[in-house]
Amino acid sequence: MIRRSLFATLALASVGSIVLVGAPPAQKSAKTAARPTKSASATPAAQTTITVDGVKDIDPSKAFGNKNAPVVIEVFSDFQCPACKQLFTSTTQRVTDNYVDAGKVYMVHRDFPLPMHAYSRVAAVYARAACHVGKCEAVEQALFQNQERWEANGDVKGTIAGVLTPAEMKKVQSLVDSGAMEPLVEKDRQIGQAIPVNQTPTMYIHPKDGSAIPVVGFVSYDVLKTLLDQLVK
Amino acid sequence: MMQSAPFTFRRIVIWLGRIILGLIFVYAGCSKIFLPNKFYWPLAMLKFSVSANLSNFGFQVESYKMLSAAGVAFVSHVLPFAEVALGLLLLIGWRLRIWAAMVTLFLLMFFTVVTRAYLLHMDINCGCFATPEPVSLKKIFEDGALVLLALLMTFFAFQEARKPHPWSASSVPQEPTLVR
Repeated sequence: MIRRSLFATLALASVGSIVLVGAPPAQKSAKTAARPTKSASATPAAQTTITVDGVKDIDPSKAFGNKNAPVVIEVFSDFQCPACKQLFTSTTQRVTDNYVDAGKVYMVHRDFPLPMHAYSRVAAVYARAACHVGKCEAVEQALFQNQERWEANGDVKGTIAGVLTPAEMKKVQSLVDSGAMEPLVEKDRQIGQAIPVNQTPTMYIHPKDGSAIPVVGFVSYDVLKTLLDQLVK
Repeated sequence: MMQSAPFTFRRIVIWLGRIILGLIFVYAGCSKIFLPNKFYWPLAMLKFSVSANLSNFGFQVESYKMLSAAGVAFVSHVLPFAEVALGLLLLIGWRLRIWAAMVTLFLLMFFTVVTRAYLLHMDINCGCFATPEPVSLKKIFEDGALVLLALLMTFFAFQEARKPHPWSASSVPQEPTLVR
């Protein structure tokens, strides 16, 4: 009996000392990560990321195609960058039509807003929210096609509202207001910085062999097709 | 005894022009062909890399909004190789007057299009080298300085060509040797 109470006292003392002194840093960060934040509780789905063929932290709402595809393409782009617009309109969309829809490529869109562009982060946040309500393609297309307009007047919201119903726009706005999208955009940017991505657009092509082929700058569909045809055959 | 070439201002300018402009042209061409994507092996990847880089350069040419699609394709596939060739020819110094004049024309053309883009407030990259460089007043001054050097080099090269080179046979006609 005395031994049991001594044991209990020791256990209590050790727990107390841990609480007073503090847990080691690694445990601390784990605790912080596990703690539900305001934004996470607002949109639980927003925090879920997946890994496909070694490509980590993929937001499924910004990824398209078959997860078992022989090639994974990550596209780091900035909504305000002209080369990204050109890549999206003349290359990425055709890759989506011919390779992603055919199950040959899994395409991951990553946000990489450049600090020199005044509205690119706002655009990325709104686009991310639109992706979370299932309107990714329409909103990304609207943002890139009207780039010059919203770049001049800063009306990102108006540009997006043009392709969404009022109900969808309301959902998008509430997601933006919740602050849940900002960390996801930032996460993508950090992934890009860690690689490092030095300019936009930059694509990383991941074949099944585990390698990563960086394609920096704009690339035409015909040129990219020659590489993809070799990788997917 | 062979007389060495006098080190005049004209010759200094020609030499500087040849070396500076030659190296810049070779670098500019190579950077467009081999950067930013730099896969050199296997050959299929090298081909892809070069094609991707030329395609990227094509986008930069297109952003000046001066050429048709065919014109953009032509310029983006020919200009980088032409720059390397002209740069090498300048460095070699063979038929200097012709290639110096060509380089001057190229530089005048670059200077004009960059100045036009700047005056039209076009928010584009210069496309001069592989690294993205915005069109700015600094860029115009840089191009202007190169144009000036090229003009001087070409002018002096033509002037020099009128004079016999000191290393060549003596300008004074030799008296015919009498054969007895």
